[in-house]
Amino acid sequence: MSVTEQLEAAVEQGRISARFWLYTNYHCNLACAYCLTESAPKVDPRLLQPDKALGLVREAAALGFREAGITGGEPFLVSELPELLADIARVMPVTVLSNATLFTPKLVERMRQLAALPVTVQVSLDRPDPIANDAMRGPENFRKVLEAIPRLLDAGIRVRLATTIAFDEIVPDKTPDQERLCALHRGLGIGDADHVIRPIVRRGRALTGDLGVVATRDDLEPELTVTADGAFWSPFAPTVVNGRLDTDLLVTRTVSPLAKPAATMLRLVEGRPPGHDATLGIR
Amino acid sequence: MPVVTLLDASQAPLAAQAYYADGDPGPIVAALAHVPELLEAALPFINAALGPSAIPLRTKEIVILRTSARLACRYCIDTHTVVARDAKLSGAEVAALRGEGDVAAAFPDPADRALIDWVDAVALGPGPPSPAVADALHAHATEAEIVELTLVAGATLMLNRLATPLGLPTSAETLRRLQQEGWQR
Repeated sequence: MSVTEQLEAAVEQGRISARFWLYTNYHCNLACAYCLTESAPKVDPRLLQPDKALGLVREAAALGFREAGITGGEPFLVSELPELLADIARVMPVTVLSNATLFTPKLVERMRQLAALPVTVQVSLDRPDPIANDAMRGPENFRKVLEAIPRLLDAGIRVRLATTIAFDEIVPDKTPDQERLCALHRGLGIGDADHVIRPIVRRGRALTGDLGVVATRDDLEPELTVTADGAFWSPFAPTVVNGRLDTDLLVTRTVSPLAKPAATMLRLVEGRPPGHDATLGIR
Repeated sequence: MPVVTLLDASQAPLAAQAYYADGDPGPIVAALAHVPELLEAALPFINAALGPSAIPLRTKEIVILRTSARLACRYCIDTHTVVARDAKLSGAEVAALRGEGDVAAAFPDPADRALIDWVDAVALGPGPPSPAVADALHAHATEAEIVELTLVAGATLMLNRLATPLGLPTSAETLRRLQQEGWQR
């Protein structure tokens, strides 16, 4: 059976995600307390060049992956990102994760081309008030995010919200804090279906900061993820601790042809029970 | 000090983890684990080339230790001095293969000497072994054996050139054996 046929079967059986992730870069204008990749303004960007990223997306589409995710670092520090997102979206739907602190009117103007394309910007916002939110994410984060979301929505771009909090704060009945946050995003025009709450994962800066929940391979949905360093099990895998890349969830160093890491992933998920968000709701 | 981090079990990539199932897999695996797809390809090849096969273990160790000595690979010399002794090579034979004794005196069998001359030519080059060296080996080995023995030397060269530049460390157990048996390092 070809890799494409194996992938199709594995996706249908829920053993592997149809989403394919790319880390465009590792640097960030923020230095969040729980960042998986120890991203910060002065770290090595470890860029995945846009033409290479687009080539990988095309390979992914040919193999049968159905959607793309872009993360980092802060992807919008890559100057060509709006154009790259447009190119990717012409191949498959794409979601880009962003801290939403760089969406100046000028950048949003360049983003308008994405309105007619299947592009979603997933914005991070953790708390319904600036003091608690900015303590984890940095000064002025709350204000900048609340300014950016209307700009993006006005430009016709779909926006989702991602909230990252302690594992034990994720409860069936929302806490008063979460109710306030949900009221906030609804007021901004983001529905409940576009709000995801996930736990801090104890990797990267969260590990050194004694934060988050321990996640093993089986706690992370298998989602092939490519960075400048190789192919990994999940977007939660290519983490950095004390400046050193974790390799425990490395799949292959080879990323192209993409069939190579995809075939290894398929071998690794053999016998894995079907299901998503395995145990901890990490997504 | 190794030039690269030797990955322990906690940092072993997914496809490499099976090699850590029985504990420390040794520095070759721990280094190759940085590139798991190469580890997965290299280990079966190395095991096929250097492990049990139609060629007697003693003969293989002559090739491996002699090649390693010619390439001055500290890790491989240390490791295969011990393995060669376990493969029933005498102390004098091992010393000769390490370049610390007279080959002709230690190996009276002309088949062994023809093999050692062949290995020296393969290891040191440049160019092919001389016709005389090739003819001598042909007198004692089949074509299949010549191919396999040459590949054993080639695989050893590959490992020599991996272990030496990367500074792979000799294991504590091997060091203990070397000291116990009085081998110089």
